[in-house]
Amino acid sequence: YRDLHTFELQAPTRLIEWARGNRVCVAGYGQSDGNEILQLIPPPTLLTKETQGLCPERDFKVECGGFSDRPVYSLKYVPDTSLLVTSGPPDSSLQVWQVSAEDSDIIKSVSTIATENGTGQSWAKIATISAKDPWVLHGSRLDRVQITEVESRKNVYTAASRGSEELSGLAFLDCNTLLLCCATGRLCLADVRQPQSLVEAVAAPCSEHWCMGSRHAAQDSEPSSQPVARLSSRGHLTLTDLRKSSEFLASAKARVPSPGSGPEFLCVSWAPALEGYLAVSGFDGTVHVYDTQSWDSSGREAEPIFVHKGHAFGGAGGSGDPPLVTVHTWHLQKPRTLLSAASDGSLHVWDWVEPCGKC
Amino acid sequence: MPEIKVTPLGAGQDVGRSCILVSIAGKNVMLDCGMHMGYNDDRRFPDFSYITQNGRLTDFLDCVIISHFHLDHCGALPYFSEMVGYDGPIYMTHPTKAICPILLEDYRKITVDKKGETNFFTSQMIKDCMKKVVAVHLHQTVQVDEELEIKAYYAGHVLGAAMFQIKVGCESVVYTGDYNMTPDRHLGAAWIDKCRPDLLITESTYATTIRDSKRCRERDFLKKVHETVERGGKVLIPVFALGRAQELCILLETFWERMNLKAPIYFSTGLTEKANHYYKLFITWTNQKIRKTFVQRNMFEFKHIKAFDRAFADNPGPMVVFATPGMLHAGQSLQIFRKWAGNEKNMVIMPGYCVQGTVGHKILSGQRKLEMEGRQILEVKMQVEYMSFSAHADAKGIMQLIRQAEPRNVLLVHGEAKKMEFLKQKIEQEFHVSCFMPANGETTTILTNPCIPVDISLGLLKRETAIGPLPDAKKPKLMHGTLLMKDNSFRQVSPEQALKELGLAEHQLRFTCRVHIQDPRKEHETGLRVYNHLKGILKDYSVQHLPDGSITVESILIQATAHSEDQGTKVLLVSWTYQDEELGSYLTSLLKKGLPQST
Repeated sequence: YRDLHTFELQAPTRLIEWARGNRVCVAGYGQSDGNEILQLIPPPTLLTKETQGLCPERDFKVECGGFSDRPVYSLKYVPDTSLLVTSGPPDSSLQVWQVSAEDSDIIKSVSTIATENGTGQSWAKIATISAKDPWVLHGSRLDRVQITEVESRKNVYTAASRGSEELSGLAFLDCNTLLLCCATGRLCLADVRQPQSLVEAVAAPCSEHWCMGSRHAAQDSEPSSQPVARLSSRGHLTLTDLRKSSEFLASAKARVPSPGSGPEFLCVSWAPALEGYLAVSGFDGTVHVYDTQSWDSSGREAEPIFVHKGHAFGGAGGSGDPPLVTVHTWHLQKPRTLLSAASDGSLHVWDWVEPCGKC
Repeated sequence: MPEIKVTPLGAGQDVGRSCILVSIAGKNVMLDCGMHMGYNDDRRFPDFSYITQNGRLTDFLDCVIISHFHLDHCGALPYFSEMVGYDGPIYMTHPTKAICPILLEDYRKITVDKKGETNFFTSQMIKDCMKKVVAVHLHQTVQVDEELEIKAYYAGHVLGAAMFQIKVGCESVVYTGDYNMTPDRHLGAAWIDKCRPDLLITESTYATTIRDSKRCRERDFLKKVHETVERGGKVLIPVFALGRAQELCILLETFWERMNLKAPIYFSTGLTEKANHYYKLFITWTNQKIRKTFVQRNMFEFKHIKAFDRAFADNPGPMVVFATPGMLHAGQSLQIFRKWAGNEKNMVIMPGYCVQGTVGHKILSGQRKLEMEGRQILEVKMQVEYMSFSAHADAKGIMQLIRQAEPRNVLLVHGEAKKMEFLKQKIEQEFHVSCFMPANGETTTILTNPCIPVDISLGLLKRETAIGPLPDAKKPKLMHGTLLMKDNSFRQVSPEQALKELGLAEHQLRFTCRVHIQDPRKEHETGLRVYNHLKGILKDYSVQHLPDGSITVESILIQATAHSEDQGTKVLLVSWTYQDEELGSYLTSLLKKGLPQST
């Protein structure tokens, strides 16, 4: 490590989202009521590009907070507004909140975007994009994907139906292109301008539970030029180029303990500042970092460049289950810094060093 | 409704100074008397004119309580007691009483000697002020006067820091001062019992922080020290005589032992003796681990840390030195600093806050060329680092304390209202109590609902429980008795006993009412008619016809007599005692309706 900071939140979170001004947002998911949404200001050490050793301010500060009467499983900021959207059980509706850091430190609940609740609907996955209108893309199942305008709560787009599988993630590739990932591993693309166009990009590979990681939509790069990574509950990783979706770009297997602990917290994400690096978590108390440039399509086990084990050691030892990493995210500017959270409420910020011979 | 009034004193919205006035059941208490370290003029003192413009403070205040020896909690005490004028009792724990005057004197020296200020307290004033101090033990109930009592609880944070409970009758307030809910290497964690005060006053300055773990801070500190020593540099750590120094010493000692390091660590002689003396004296104030190991070996006698001699500063090679005073404003630490400042291999680590004007403050602000005495310029090439190990409660800690004490109301001081909204809601939601956040100078009134205990006599209790349905442990039972208030005691007794005790005779009140009814028959027959009528209606009551012609319904007597002037009218005399008022009125109205024709 070059640097490691460990913090303890009052309640565990399963999301870490970046907000304007380098703020970080976390939210509780444990209780049925009284979960907190916290917007935090990271300590100055994390805001500057160079790593300082000793610094007077080393703590996160709670800038503002809100109370949610349901567990918060997903949260996304609506860019260019002071709003954010959350979702969580028991249904697939979305809650809209207002962050007004100026005159009060409360995140206020503003409205709810309701969705038709069929039977057996789980919570909605959300995505937002910086576009001229504040849209939120959401849905819990493949046949329930829609885009809603946040402030007016009007439906702007509904995706054509192509099956009713549960979704594990969705993303805007750019303002017009949507990428949907089903829990079966099936990837679908849709174009907002053409409501009926839902195209299957990649078929469902096998019977595990999958999730995806795509690069953040950049304004000027071609939407489908970035490979999409998919992670399965047994540790299989596949990379697909959406332009040539019939074959895998590369595939590997992460070294994960088996039996796995379930697909609840599977998380895979690309490093924003390092080409070809991605991070994987959700199997145990560790986060793995891989360099995918050395992968081929054989699917054999890959060696991680770095493994963060901090969460496995933290907290009160011996009581109950070992902590499980619930989510991780990369720092937007510092290339090797990640933030990760675990089920025991710990929040780690770590900066890893490339092992020798690979600088 | 009885109320508790709280006013944080001080000018402006500043966080640096603690001084709170509490008014509870007619008693006035001042909590802490701190000085603001950032100001050089009168703004550093709290605004005492708020208390009383021209009256004597001694008459107004019942006592002053100081929570711990940090200057932002006790710094203005000599000013307050000697220059403004207060002769009443000042309460603090034993360690605080021992250490306070040292810090006050130290601070006085910098302010007056170094900065040449005039409106400041003198050494004699400090001594006179400390004469008014009454030291208290933990968990010892101290009677300030007949009604006011106080009790100190362990607060962690620094040696001798305490949280105080102030109680008058059934109303109580708990003031936390600065506290820490997680134990560290040399102090335990704060603890309080479920005392259920009407109000808990707590500082909220650190409520919005989520702290970096201690392990990371310590690891970074040790890394810096190690790196410097490895490259042959010298590390200077200016410390106050007491406080974090002990924590850091224990930390370094353990690290040196584990890593088998050879570089010497020194501790200023005066420092060691004094510190050891106080810790030995107040060993019960340190944490469990230290107390246990103290028997085998003195935790504050270190294997790798040795006494310092002035000459050592010139020795070549790496070393670590702890020296006083903490802000590099005078004395040994400044001397050493001057010797080592020019070498970039060396490092100085400031472990705490530095007052403006001191060298410590200057170098932390980034100054690298300092003007010393005799207009000499000192160029600072050594590395300057800052490491704060201070122990304060964060939001989680505040919630823990509230959970332990179970107050009915919470008051937060020292936080900007805008930034405390979230914490206030959090406390209100989780504990269902009211949360207040007054600004400096603003008075908050808290309504209390005190319970007044009343003793009930055994005889009354037995009698009342025998009446009516069997007592149910889950349901309240209504009892009737007489409340006697005598000599500050409240008792509830039966009316008979009350009369006896007070030497009063019982009077019987009897009412008589005349009801006219039309009946030409003889009185005796009218009486019989009335009897039959009432017997028919009042089936649940005991209705009797006595040989002399009168009728009784329970204890009410009815007699029929002839009207003196009109033979056709009979007069019914209905007579009842005050206790039977209800039945008596009912009977009267019933009879006024007349008798049925049939009988």
